[in-house]
Amino acid sequence: MDLTRRQAAAGLAAMAVAIRPPGAWAQQKVFKIGVVYDYTGPLAGGGSALHALGAKIIIDHFIAQGGVEGYKIEAIYADAQSKPEVAINESVRLIEQEKVDMLLGFFSSAQCVPVAARIEQLRKYMWITTCIASTVLENRNLRFVFRPQPAGRQFGEASTDFVAAYAKEKFGKDPKDTNVAIIYEDGAYGVDVSRGNEEGAKRNGLKVVLKEGYSATAPDLSALVTKLRRARPDVILHTGYNPDITLFLRQAREGGLRFRALIGHGAGYGVPDKLREALGQDVVGFFNVDPISIWLANQASLAPGLADMVRSIGEAYDKAQPGTGVRSAHVGMAASNTYLFFTQVLPRAIRQYGGIDAEALRKASVDIDLPEGGTMLGFGARFNADGPMAGQNARAFPVIVEYTADGTDVVWPRSQAKRPPTLPLPAGNPYALR
Amino acid sequence: MGIFDIFLLEAVVNGLLLGGVLALLALGLNLIFGVIDVVWICYAELVMIGMYAIYYFASAYGWPLWLAVPAAIAVVAVLGVLLHVLVISPLLGAEPINQLLATGGVLFFLQSFATVAFGIEFRNLGLRLPVIEVGDIFISYARLLAFGCALAGMLAVWLFLSRTYTGTAIRAISQDRQIMALMGVDTRRIYLITSAVGGGLAGLAACLLVLQYDVHPFVGLSFGPIIFMICVMGGLGNMLGGFIAAFIFAELISVGGLFLDLEWGYVFAFVFFIAMMFVRPEGLLARRS
Repeated sequence: MDLTRRQAAAGLAAMAVAIRPPGAWAQQKVFKIGVVYDYTGPLAGGGSALHALGAKIIIDHFIAQGGVEGYKIEAIYADAQSKPEVAINESVRLIEQEKVDMLLGFFSSAQCVPVAARIEQLRKYMWITTCIASTVLENRNLRFVFRPQPAGRQFGEASTDFVAAYAKEKFGKDPKDTNVAIIYEDGAYGVDVSRGNEEGAKRNGLKVVLKEGYSATAPDLSALVTKLRRARPDVILHTGYNPDITLFLRQAREGGLRFRALIGHGAGYGVPDKLREALGQDVVGFFNVDPISIWLANQASLAPGLADMVRSIGEAYDKAQPGTGVRSAHVGMAASNTYLFFTQVLPRAIRQYGGIDAEALRKASVDIDLPEGGTMLGFGARFNADGPMAGQNARAFPVIVEYTADGTDVVWPRSQAKRPPTLPLPAGNPYALR
Repeated sequence: MGIFDIFLLEAVVNGLLLGGVLALLALGLNLIFGVIDVVWICYAELVMIGMYAIYYFASAYGWPLWLAVPAAIAVVAVLGVLLHVLVISPLLGAEPINQLLATGGVLFFLQSFATVAFGIEFRNLGLRLPVIEVGDIFISYARLLAFGCALAGMLAVWLFLSRTYTGTAIRAISQDRQIMALMGVDTRRIYLITSAVGGGLAGLAACLLVLQYDVHPFVGLSFGPIIFMICVMGGLGNMLGGFIAAFIFAELISVGGLFLDLEWGYVFAFVFFIAMMFVRPEGLLARRS
């Protein structure tokens, strides 16, 4: 029998179809996700790379399990290079050229603010794992931008609530007689947290003796140290990234600055290993406001299955970065927030709203209703559909941890606290008020 | 607070000490420009490489500091020579803008190289230096050391330039590089020596900066623009002018930051720089018109 070339080709095509494994057609549906963090530049070492690792661990987990609801997961990673303009360009490139279905990530609030506006214009979906400034969402009526993280204002208010609650008991002073100084890097993140500090101090009747911003790349902070010495605060509320935090603390020590307590607010303070490496045990007794480290959260209070996931993330973290002393809260934060997307938003969008477009993802996001303990970070999830903070997880809250000699302990809020805080700073500490 | 109080005095002292750090950084850059007539825009990145060198020698390989410091200085001195041979030398006769762009390219190359080779982690020696307390004023030991080294470096460079044959040749070339070649001076050799000395000064600055700053691939961004402005304000190539400009700049930052917001200190310094560009565009102590 003679076969024409066309008949032969048709036969081969039919054979190819016949030998395709069952379900392979379904696997062709791909959910492309653009992941943007700072892999280079100062922010990378300041915590962004750790967040990127946390997100990647979860993305790899879902890729390995074959995807979500019949969709294969494909991630394209982009480096924002610690520059807002690069973050915008990379985000637009991912959407317009790589044709990603959504964007996930973003460490710096200075990047989130402009990127969120651009993404909204493009009617794409954005899931923010990290950046906390309230201004990212506040009064912007964004429809497709969601953030499971607590907002910066909450960070700032948490530390003042903490100080006010313990002022009398630990410092022997009424809140109105307790002096606090607010210092912050002057980007969107630092400014927002400092506003929370100021509002919280006002609400709690604390006395603000100094409020001062500085550039995170400033080569010298000795003038700030001198001003703090002059203002004599009991408590310093500090928001910064990593190089500026270590510079400040070194110059503070050399400049003879003394205080009763120092409370950091995430970013550089979220990497205790690095601070210990630079400043040794001098940092023992410092506090940090952040979402709880997933490894410190009360595992028994978490929803079923989450404790196993926490363990699995820890193993992946250790494998990726062997020799890590204290597992950074940053990794767990991004991992938990990414996991929330893959388990609550994406499957719901596909199942209930028939797809993966921005509208379906938005509808799925506002449907989420997880009580406390519903995420690995201990808090629940319920996103504001509208209002001044549309897109914000209204159930997120930060905790306060105290640096110990070899780790961190949760000390605030009282409901999550492992023990009461060590206040004031112990006398042996070089920063302790004498 | 009165205007004249102990904190003002402390700010003035801090300004002086910061001035020492900036003066040391400006010294090498000015030497290079004064002799070779090329601005190493990547100078702060050479300092960054020097900081990594001392970190690895002292922390990773466990060398004692007395050995790690000269080794790090030597590394940057060699890097200075390589920079001259590979990048500057082929462009000596080119337009200044091309030379500027070439060293600008080296800046990005060194940042990227450091990111790939050393990673994005912040690294430090973990040293905690003693605190010096005089009356109610606290003085940074690291800054004091940098201040002393800046003075010593300035003196050493001056002695080298004025008391040695090579130094005399360097000064002669800085006055007229064409004619000196005709008079039998090996200009290539002089350029190489100058590049090595300039690189060595960057290495010395690195050894002092690493006492106070974390090292990461982008640490140069904190200093690069300020060093350049100081050199321009002092008169590019004028080492004494750069030295004085560094202290003016540092005092404006320190004292300005004490009385107003910290950022205003920098604003004052930059406004002063712009004003000086109108009043004395050739620099505070111009080497040439």
